[in-house]
Amino acid sequence: MSAPSTAAGMLPALAPAPERGRRNVLLVGTLFAVAAGTTLFGGLLASYFSAREVARAAGEAWVPQDVVLPNVPLFVGYLTLLMSSVTAQWSVSAINGRDRRAAYVALGLTLVLGLAFVNALSFSWSQLGMVAEASRFATTVYAVTVTHLLVVIAAHVALVVVGFRALGGQFSPDNREMVVSAVTFWHFSVAVGLVVWYSIWFLVGGP
Amino acid sequence: MTETRAEAGSSAVEGPAGTPPERELTGPARWLTTFDHKVVGRLYLAFALAFLLVGSAAGGVLGVERINGGFQLVPSRAFAQVHTLHSEVTVLLFLVPFFLGLATYLVPLQIGASDIAFPRGSATALWTYVLGGALLLGAYAADGGLDGASTVGTDLYLLSLALLAASTCLALISILTTAVTLRAPGMTMLRTPMFTWSVVVGGGLTLLATPVLLARLIELFIHHHFGADLAALEPAGQIGWFWSIPQVYLLAVPAAGVAAEVVPVLARSRLRRNSAGIAVLGALGLLGFGAWAQVEPYADDLLYVVAGLVAVVPALALVGVLGDVVRRGHFVRKPALLLALGAVVHLLLGALAGAVLVIPGLELDPTVWTTAQVHLTLFGAGVLGAYAALWFWAPKIWGVHLGDAAGTAAFALTFWGVLLLAVPDLVSALVSDQARLTASFESDTLTTLLNGASMAGGALAALGLLVVVGDLVVRAGRKGGTRAIANPWGAATLEWATSSPPPAENFTGELPPVTSAWPLDGRDGAQDGAEAGGPVPVGTDGGSASP
Repeated sequence: MSAPSTAAGMLPALAPAPERGRRNVLLVGTLFAVAAGTTLFGGLLASYFSAREVARAAGEAWVPQDVVLPNVPLFVGYLTLLMSSVTAQWSVSAINGRDRRAAYVALGLTLVLGLAFVNALSFSWSQLGMVAEASRFATTVYAVTVTHLLVVIAAHVALVVVGFRALGGQFSPDNREMVVSAVTFWHFSVAVGLVVWYSIWFLVGGP
Repeated sequence: MTETRAEAGSSAVEGPAGTPPERELTGPARWLTTFDHKVVGRLYLAFALAFLLVGSAAGGVLGVERINGGFQLVPSRAFAQVHTLHSEVTVLLFLVPFFLGLATYLVPLQIGASDIAFPRGSATALWTYVLGGALLLGAYAADGGLDGASTVGTDLYLLSLALLAASTCLALISILTTAVTLRAPGMTMLRTPMFTWSVVVGGGLTLLATPVLLARLIELFIHHHFGADLAALEPAGQIGWFWSIPQVYLLAVPAAGVAAEVVPVLARSRLRRNSAGIAVLGALGLLGFGAWAQVEPYADDLLYVVAGLVAVVPALALVGVLGDVVRRGHFVRKPALLLALGAVVHLLLGALAGAVLVIPGLELDPTVWTTAQVHLTLFGAGVLGAYAALWFWAPKIWGVHLGDAAGTAAFALTFWGVLLLAVPDLVSALVSDQARLTASFESDTLTTLLNGASMAGGALAALGLLVVVGDLVVRAGRKGGTRAIANPWGAATLEWATSSPPPAENFTGELPPVTSAWPLDGRDGAQDGAEAGGPVPVGTDGGSASP
């Protein structure tokens, strides 16, 4: 296999290397991004809870008196986001079953549900009528929810790319890594949404 | 067959049959458009060293103010700005990006991959870093920063730091995905070279810690941008934790990885147990994860104290493991070996200083002891490790050897310079409780003397930097160095199985089968060290060979 070297330190001649398979590169990269995103929201929520504890220890109201939380649109919005996780997973199942039409429908529904969440969140912000500098509650809430919104938008972009490629017929049960990666990121954005809803909107000032 | 050489000088590439050859871009046009991880890595290194010049200049201003009897060069408010500029530039614009660049260049080669996992992501990370760095300097120029008077400048400052944090994450995702998914057949994670392992450990944990910094920056930005008082959030602590105990050790892990890679090769020996090196680097990384220690009061936290004390153990173990390698091998006065050993010594000193720092009751935290501890760990271990990497891998990165005399001078100036920079501060903290972040205009004679000695140490280290940059420009930039062969050191890891510098696709031949951590064992040009832990027969003079 090897031939004599031509000079000291030079390496023997070898045949061209065979192509090595790329092992779930996109999915692993997505998982690293999800890990980083998890600590990002961990940091944001830690700051929220830390500030809340300081306010409570000082005997101050955490939520300003004049702020009324729009619980109904918030709940509906996050529930919509949760439903989008189901449709996103449906798209993977559809591709596994070579059902392209179902995959288009599932991806489209996921995007629509995601947009509905964006709409519900922005409506809720307008209902809150809270300026960011008004209180520490406002600052931390906007920090968490705006960052989450950006993640949801990034997940939309990933899914749109997948959707176009699906329309081009690029995916199959043997070639679905991009779909699985995009859907994994979508699930992450949904999971973060649920944690945000529970931590900020459901618990609010307690326990 | 002959070794493959990259056709760096070619200006055109063959087009499809019947079409004229396409012109290959060169210079800045190529830099801006390339996705080649080797070019991206080289650019990272160049920008990082350029930013270190800026950081060192800022450090020089601080040093002069501390001995000059008042605010001679900058007004008192700007002193605090220069202080944070110095910290941020040296850590976020030099240390982290330097090792990101080194990893971007080397990790694919060390694991036998033909490319990095996300080349576009890697290039995007590079330019985001450059943009973030430029914006950071621009923000300070516009009187921004934590102590700045300009609202826009401070917004820009927070935005630039967020960009830098985001670019770090993006680069790490690309590097880590490469290390996890693109390893050559047979290369298990425990068979990866020490530098790659240090990148996996240090980079993986940094990928978890950096978003926490990003979270703080997002909140600070929203708080400040909409008109609230930034000082109420104690922003210095919310950013500065990134280069304080225990996180400071995490930033030093790649430097330790460089030492663990360089010392056995140049001492012509092997680690007695490869797993020992893996465990030491892993422990240093785990103890260095410091995202939790950022908001007061953490100094009395038991976990903080324990992490600070226990960090001495992996540093000591690294000294023991590499000392054993040198004892069983052959000490050769190669600059890379001196620099790597110097980095390990400084890491140990930094860990010892850190252990004293966290002892409750001594109350050294607000004093210049903390400054000395960071200088020893990041400037001492980090910068010496970076220089060691340059002298060791320059043949692979630029295809030339850097100068032995320059390397030895850089070692002497940096090693002793950082000691002279740090030790007077340690003494000053003990004898006079000198607070950090103060210019000295009413201090006693001893403190003034110590500050002067510290300033002299900083000047020596800065001189060392100039030597490094000068030698790089002359030998690597203008190709004035001795041309390197594929495996000049007789090393046994995969990056040495290709030409220096490597071709576009990294490897042109079949990779050797990977059945151990040293896949090139027994091959022409490599040390034959089949028996790990035993002395390596010195049959090939790979130390200084050049064609």
